[in-house]
Amino acid sequence: MAEVGRFLLRRLGLSVFVVLVVTLLVAWAIRLSGDPAMMLAEGAGSVTEQDLRNIRAALGLDRPFWAQYGGFVGGMLTGDMGRSFMGGLPVARMVGQALPLTVMLAFLSLGVSLLVSVPLGVTAAVRRGGWVDQVIRVVSLVGLSFPNFWLAIMLVLVFSIALGWLPPSGTEGGVGLVMPVATMAVILSATNVRLVRSAMLEVLGAQYVTVARSKGLRETVVLYKHALRNCAIPLITFIGLQFGGLIGGVVVVERVFNWPGMGSLAFDAVASRDYPVLQAVVTVLAGMIVAVNLLVDVVYGLVDPRVRGQ
Amino acid sequence: MLRWVLAAGLVFGVGSARAGGVLTIAQAQDPNNWDPIATFLVPWGAVASNVFDGLVLRDEQLVLKPGLAESWEVLDGGMRLRFRLRRGVLFHNGEVFDAEAVRFTMARLLGPEGAKGPQQSNYTSIGSVDVVDPYTVDIVLKRPDPVMVSKLAGYGAMMVPPKYVAEKGGVEFGQKPVGTGPFRVVGYENKVSLTLEPAAGHWDGKPKVDRVVYRFIVEPNTQVAELQAGRVDVASNVPIALIPAITASAALQVVSTTGPSVTVLRFNTAQGPTRDARVRRAMVMAVDRDAIVKQILQGHAKAVTGFQSALSFGFDPGRAAVPFDPAGAKRLLAEAKVAPGTAVSLDFRSNDTTFREVAQAVAGYLGAVGLKVQVRPFEMNVFTNDIIPNGKTGEMFQMGWGGWTFDYDNTAYLMYHSGERWNPYDKDPGLDAMLEGQRLIVDRGEREAALRKVAGFVADHALELPLYNVDTYYGVNRRVKGLVVPPDNRLRLIGASVD
Repeated sequence: MAEVGRFLLRRLGLSVFVVLVVTLLVAWAIRLSGDPAMMLAEGAGSVTEQDLRNIRAALGLDRPFWAQYGGFVGGMLTGDMGRSFMGGLPVARMVGQALPLTVMLAFLSLGVSLLVSVPLGVTAAVRRGGWVDQVIRVVSLVGLSFPNFWLAIMLVLVFSIALGWLPPSGTEGGVGLVMPVATMAVILSATNVRLVRSAMLEVLGAQYVTVARSKGLRETVVLYKHALRNCAIPLITFIGLQFGGLIGGVVVVERVFNWPGMGSLAFDAVASRDYPVLQAVVTVLAGMIVAVNLLVDVVYGLVDPRVRGQ
Repeated sequence: MLRWVLAAGLVFGVGSARAGGVLTIAQAQDPNNWDPIATFLVPWGAVASNVFDGLVLRDEQLVLKPGLAESWEVLDGGMRLRFRLRRGVLFHNGEVFDAEAVRFTMARLLGPEGAKGPQQSNYTSIGSVDVVDPYTVDIVLKRPDPVMVSKLAGYGAMMVPPKYVAEKGGVEFGQKPVGTGPFRVVGYENKVSLTLEPAAGHWDGKPKVDRVVYRFIVEPNTQVAELQAGRVDVASNVPIALIPAITASAALQVVSTTGPSVTVLRFNTAQGPTRDARVRRAMVMAVDRDAIVKQILQGHAKAVTGFQSALSFGFDPGRAAVPFDPAGAKRLLAEAKVAPGTAVSLDFRSNDTTFREVAQAVAGYLGAVGLKVQVRPFEMNVFTNDIIPNGKTGEMFQMGWGGWTFDYDNTAYLMYHSGERWNPYDKDPGLDAMLEGQRLIVDRGEREAALRKVAGFVADHALELPLYNVDTYYGVNRRVKGLVVPPDNRLRLIGASVD
C-alpha cells in the first residue's frame, strides 16, 4: 500500500510540474505578439502612446515579465485569478461560469461515444470480414475524416434550418446540448469503434475465451464479461490520451454552437490578448487533462488485478 | 352599445399597442463591461446607445440633435461650450440628472479612472467643467477642438449617475449599468445575453417593444443560422458571402445603408518600387474598383476616391475617381523603369475573408500590368500592433478605418501626420502643416475646405490606393417593423416593434 501511495505522490508531483511548465509557456507565448492596451483602445481614433502607457500601467503590464508571472502563479495558488483585461470581471467568476458547461459537454460526449462505439466495435470484431464489419469500418472511417466544424455546420443546416427541430445555438434546456454532443461524439466514436474492434480481435483469439465458450456460457456473457473486460486497459489508456484532443475539439464546437464554455473563453481571450483569462483557462484545462491521466493510472489498478498486485 | 364597442376597441387597441413583442438581436461581441469609459468598441455603442444618453445625440442620419442638453451655444470664440440641460430627467435608479451629474461624468472620464480606459484621449482638450446653475453647465476648452460637440454624442461622454457609480464602483456599475436612455437593463449574463426593457417616461418617447434581448453570438455562420431558424430578429454580423442565404428566404431581408468604414490599400512610400509616386499612381489606375464592388462585394459598397465616405465631414463629392486605365498604368510603370515581373507584396488581416478575395482580385489587376503580387495574410493583432506601426509591411497594406466622429480629421491626422502610429512611412512637413492648421479653424466652411485640400494632396501624391466604402447592413426578419439602420451601427430601438 505504501508503494501505491509513493507512486501516486510521485505522479502528483510530476503533474504539478507539468501544469507549472504549461502556465509558463502560455504566459510567455501570449506576450510575444499583440498589445492588450491597443486591443482595448481599438477604434478610439486619437490614442497616443501616453494613453497606451496609462492603460498598460492600469493593467499591470508595465511590470517585468517575472513579476507578472509570479503574481499570476501566486494568485492561482490562493484562488485569485485576477481580473480580465476586457471589462475587469474577476477571472475566477468567468471560469466558474464556463467550466461546468465545458465539463458537461466533454463528459457527455465521451459517455455517448462509449455507448455507441463499444457495441459497434464488439459487433464488428465478432463479425470480422462480414458485411456488418465492412459497413461499420467504412462508416467509422467517414466519421474520422469529418472536420468537426464542418460536421457541426451540417448538423445545424439539417436539424435547425431544414427540419427546425433543434436550436442552432445556445444553452437553453437540454436541447441545446444535443448537437454539440453529437458532433463531438461522432468524431470520438469513429476512433473508439476501431480501437474496440482491434482490441476485441486480439482478445477473441485468447484461450480463456475458448474456455468460456466451451463452458457453454451465453455468447453475450463471453463477449461482454470475459472478452471486453480485457479490452478495458487499452480503451482506458486511449480515453486518457483522447481527453486532450477532446478539449481541443471543444474550442471549435463551442464557437459554432455559441456555447459559453472554456473554449469560447479561450478563443475570445486569444483574440483580445486578455492575458489573465487565457492563462487561467489554459491552466485549468491543463490541470484537467493531467488529472484525467492521473485518474487513468488509478483506474488501471481498479480494472486490472495484476496492476493492483504489483 | 357604441360605447361598449368603442371601449372594447380601446382595450384591444391598448392591448395591441402594448404587445410590441420581444426583439432579439444577435451581437457579435460582449464588451464584458457596460461602463461608458471602460471600452471603445462598436458593439458597446450599438447596445449602450439605448441605455445611456449624451448631452447631444445623433439621429439616424448622424445629424447632431439635442440630447440631455436642450440647447447649447459656443462662447468665447469656441473655447467655452454652454449647455442648457433638460429638466425632469431621472436615471433608471431614480437619481436626478442635473449639472452635477454632468460634472461628475466628465471628471470621472478625465480623472484617474478614465486614464485606465481608452476613452480619455478623445477629451483631453477639455480644461474644466463648470456648473453655472443646476441646469446650466459650461465645458471650457484648453485648446480649440472643433469636433468636441460631436464627441459629446459618443462613447465616453454618456451621462452616468453620480451616487450610483460612487456607491457601486466601476466594475459593479459596468455589470449593472444605469443611464437615462429609453431602455433600462433588466438582466445581464456575461457572454450570453443582455436584456432591456423600456424605461418609464423617457423624454424622447416610449419604446414600442416590450423587451429587447441581445444575444452574444461570435460566429457569423451561427448568427445567420439563428436568423434563419427565426430565433433572432436581427443579425448584426453577416459576412458578404452569406447574404444570398438571407435574401433566399421570404421571411428575411438585408437592410443596409452607407457605412462609415472605408477600406484602402496604403503604400509603403519609404522603400521599394512604391517610393516612386508614378508607380503608385500606376497601381491606382490598374485596379477596377467598380468591378470589385460589383463582383466581390455584391454591390454592398461604394467605390471611393479617398480615405473617407460620403458621411465624413471633409468629403468632396466633386473629386473625380482615377479612371481604370491598365494601358496608362503600363506606360507609367515603363516611364518609372519598373521592369515587368517586378515583385510587390500586399499585406492584409487574415481574419477578413471578404478582403482575402479583394486582395486576390487586386493581385490579378496588378498582374495584368506586369507586377507580380505576393498576397500575405497576417494575424489581426500582429498586423495592427507590429507590422503596420513598426513599418514592416510590404509595398501595400490593407487599412480599414471608420472615423467615429465622422470627420476626416480623425482619419487624415492619424494616417498622414508624421510620427503617428498608423503612419510608419510618410514624412512631409507641408502635409503636417495642413493637418495641424485645420485643427485650429473654428469656421466650418473654412475647415471643410482645408480638409478637402488635405484629401487632394493625398490623392495627387497617390499615398494610397482607394478601394471602397462598405455598407452597414443587417440581416433582419420581416416581422420587425420600424427598425432604422443607421450608418454608425448604433441601432436606435425606440421606434422598432415586432409583429
